Amino acid sequence: MVNGWNPSTLREALAIRAQYPVIPYAGGTDLMIAEEREGAYLFLNRIPELKRIVREGNILRMGAGCTFTELLEHSETPALLREALALIAAPAIRNEGTIGGNIANGSAKADSALIFFVADASVRLQSIAGERVLPIREFYLGRKKLDLRPDELITEVLLPLRWLDSYDYQKIGARKALAISRVAFAGLMTVENGIILHCATAYGAVSDVIIRRPDLDAMLIGKAVEQAKALKSQYLAAYAEAIAPTQGRVSATYRKTVCLNLLDNFLKKFGV
Amino acid sequence: MTNGIEFTLNGTAVVFEGSATARLLDVLRDTYGLTGVKCGCKEGECGACSILLDGRLVNSCMVAMGRVAGCDVVTIEGYAKTERFKTLDAAYAAVSAAQCGFCIPGMVLASECILAKNPNPTEEEIRDGISGNLCRCTGYNAIVKAIQIAAKEGAGLW
Repeated sequence: MVNGWNPSTLREALAIRAQYPVIPYAGGTDLMIAEEREGAYLFLNRIPELKRIVREGNILRMGAGCTFTELLEHSETPALLREALALIAAPAIRNEGTIGGNIANGSAKADSALIFFVADASVRLQSIAGERVLPIREFYLGRKKLDLRPDELITEVLLPLRWLDSYDYQKIGARKALAISRVAFAGLMTVENGIILHCATAYGAVSDVIIRRPDLDAMLIGKAVEQAKALKSQYLAAYAEAIAPTQGRVSATYRKTVCLNLLDNFLKKFGV
Repeated sequence: MTNGIEFTLNGTAVVFEGSATARLLDVLRDTYGLTGVKCGCKEGECGACSILLDGRLVNSCMVAMGRVAGCDVVTIEGYAKTERFKTLDAAYAAVSAAQCGFCIPGMVLASECILAKNPNPTEEEIRDGISGNLCRCTGYNAIVKAIQIAAKEGAGLW
């Protein structure tokens, strides 16, 4: 094949990745937009190891090569992830786009990555030399900057399922389909017997990297709902300080206002 | 043993000898002369270049040739030979769902995928199914109607 490699096993793919300066091709839906084709592609679409979806206890292991459609059609995919995936682009793009590619693109607008952030998921990175498992928050170093070595491939996303059932998800886009998030919010809150057992929030499309601040959410964890209500203005103020939107297609002021409204709606949804 | 990319194109086995990074859209139009595959935006926004890749709808502008090795590619030219197409064709005509026609090859293939997934789709499922295919002439109501007619008339085909 000219300008391309088409491995059929992960081992083979990692060997090529280690030896040649190839560009990993997962779904192609971001890669192919560039007008100029440079370099050689390492096609990852026929590697069975990257297509696996396995539940192990409270962790859902999803191969990085799983397309959005494959995950939407899989019975183990949790409702929150399903909701976010269903709003990505349109069917033809969901049929090719993958979670690994969504992450590898390094964008804070990646709608599946937002769910992985709020759930404190990890990514498995493999090379011929071995493997690393990194919390997704540590994997993102900045806009389009990932802690990924040139010999590594993202092979799996490890999604903890424990707190995912009780959530709020909001995507703000300019239209219903084919919309790039202007602000996306995901929040998890579990309240039992009036006590907040878990609270996790994340924002996509606001800054260079998806915003996830467990230090702020910690203000509410372990508190009774009434206590949390008393702390609410303090929590919102802390978040207001933490959010510094980049100026993009829409103004930073608009995005920040939307962010805080979404956070307020999330708290209200759970009685806070 | 060949260095080319082997795949099935509208039912015929072919070997593409060019670059694995070439766009499927360009190769379908320029190498194979399949100009029913339209080029609208080259960034996945319009769906005019939609084709069936192993039975699933994809934008051929966002697919590199290396991706299709060993796969089954169907364009509107191949699909037009099927009974299902005849039903969709008649349904689109019945409600004048086509005007300039530029979106229609993609729209028809999107219609096929909607009906293949669910032979009796709800209006919401139809609208979601064509949500990546833009039409700037008739708008969507006539197209939605055409798919509903095809579902009814083509009972048993899907």
